[in-house]
Amino acid sequence: MIDEYITIALPKGKLFGLSAELLKKVGWTAEGLHEKSRKLVITNDAAKLKFIITKTADVPTYVEYGAADIGIIGKDVIMESGKDIYELLDLGFGKCHLMMAVPKDKKRARLEDYAHTRVATKFPRLAKNFFVSRGMQMEYIKLNGSIELGPIVGLSESIVDIVETGTTLRENNLEEIVHIADSTARLIANRVSYRLKFERINNLVTELEKIL
Amino acid sequence: MAGILETPYGTRDFLPKEAAAKRAIENRIAKLFAEFGYEEVVTPTMEFLETLTISGGVESNLFKMFDQQNRTLALHHEMTTPIARLAMSRLKDSPLPLKLSYNTSVFRFRKNQLGRQCEFYQSGVELLGASNAFADAEIIALATNALKVAGLKDFTICLGQVEFANGLMENLSAADKAEIKNAIEHHDIVGLEKIVDALNLDKNSADTLKKIPKLNGGIEILETARVLANNDKSRSAINNLEEIYKLAEIYGVADRIIFDLGIIRDFEYYTGMVFEAYAPNVGYSLAGGGRYDNMLADFGLACPATGFAVGIERILTACEKQGIFNDARAKDIYLSYSESKIDAAIKKALALREEGKIVELSLTAQNKIDAEKSKIEKGYSELIYIE
Repeated sequence: MIDEYITIALPKGKLFGLSAELLKKVGWTAEGLHEKSRKLVITNDAAKLKFIITKTADVPTYVEYGAADIGIIGKDVIMESGKDIYELLDLGFGKCHLMMAVPKDKKRARLEDYAHTRVATKFPRLAKNFFVSRGMQMEYIKLNGSIELGPIVGLSESIVDIVETGTTLRENNLEEIVHIADSTARLIANRVSYRLKFERINNLVTELEKIL
Repeated sequence: MAGILETPYGTRDFLPKEAAAKRAIENRIAKLFAEFGYEEVVTPTMEFLETLTISGGVESNLFKMFDQQNRTLALHHEMTTPIARLAMSRLKDSPLPLKLSYNTSVFRFRKNQLGRQCEFYQSGVELLGASNAFADAEIIALATNALKVAGLKDFTICLGQVEFANGLMENLSAADKAEIKNAIEHHDIVGLEKIVDALNLDKNSADTLKKIPKLNGGIEILETARVLANNDKSRSAINNLEEIYKLAEIYGVADRIIFDLGIIRDFEYYTGMVFEAYAPNVGYSLAGGGRYDNMLADFGLACPATGFAVGIERILTACEKQGIFNDARAKDIYLSYSESKIDAAIKKALALREEGKIVELSLTAQNKIDAEKSKIEKGYSELIYIE
């Protein structure tokens, strides 16, 4: 069914460049595909491809509804979204982990000592799943960025956030006390697209597997 | 007073055009079910909570309330369970196979349901007391035809068999099985590889399990699957699909079928073939069903069963995307009249309706200019004016 387009959702930010580069290596690209593109949909008519560039957290939504057939997004975002999408391939890049950190100078003896305290996070769903599994009730404060600021200005006692190198934590005198989950970028697909456009999507997976 | 114009979360109104489209589709599907010899039943909107949860209904997804004795009631979230209850109680002595159909709204208390609300409409059938492939083929033929009579041109039936994966996992523990099934159902291929690798199986078995969600394609995929099948259970699953497909060919619906051996569907209770129907550019399934031979035993008597349901709202969305409009309620004639012509107008309206025309009769006398205006405003194709 080469007459049909495949729509690919790519996230703005850190993963965009790496994702676009990887797809380009297997010939999945389009003229003018860059993050600052003013066009909302970037099309490659010869290869029957359409690219859309969305906010990170929106990629699973576009794919779940089938507005995009496939997408590339971090496992952390997939887990937080709770969306029903197919996860086809671990792309290996965008490595980071979800963890809980607290101010070094106010570190408490045990994790349980933080029960009923405030935790600032961009991942309230994952944070809640984690604390519930430890039998802890917490007060969740959803922030959209600069999570580290929470404990510094007294908004929260701890944070749950994504860390790559830990530099930001160190700079802000925070210390990781629990490792919650690992994350890398994943290739995801819509359940209907995966079946109706199986050949092309599966070829992409095979091609990518070869170069990863 | 903000609440009085709102509807509760997860509910919707159907305005006349939408209601007409919904009714048109439901009527055509009901007619089709009747033609295949399925008899309609109606069950209560609410059941006892235990009835709905005995076969895997998840309590937190149900709308619940209490009766006067403080027993917990719940709104039905699907119709297979109430029909199983009905079949095992009041229809227990009916000759088998029993062919029943329904059209009703069901309720699921879940956020984030694609393409539908918490209350949504389903038409479907249950075929009880037949275990052969012919019964499954009839269900698939019926589902295909239901989507056709609903007006859909472009759609695909995606067919699987849960016993294939079950067979391949036969030697695994229940916990491992559940984890693998969950990964297969969500096509979490990354997760599946990790789970399987952790099991330390021989390479052959591990590779086979990893391949399940990728067994996707036309009838030729069954040959690939047959090579992977390593015991009777998984082999007979493939034979069963082949048999169903052959019968579907005779029914003239085989060209709609593709296979995916990774389809397991959300419900725990499927025991044989399972399927979902998809349309291009609609990201979720329009219809789904399968064989559930163990469920009726929960109600007291083992009895094989198979069936399916279509989602009416989802079909309406798919029709719209394919440019098919079912709301063509013919607004034939707007009938108006001048002062003192009311008798003639009523008689004319009755005569036209006798001919099968849809006629709106003005309730007040109008002059011809106003009558013309009303006809246009109300969208009628013709004005008859009696003066």
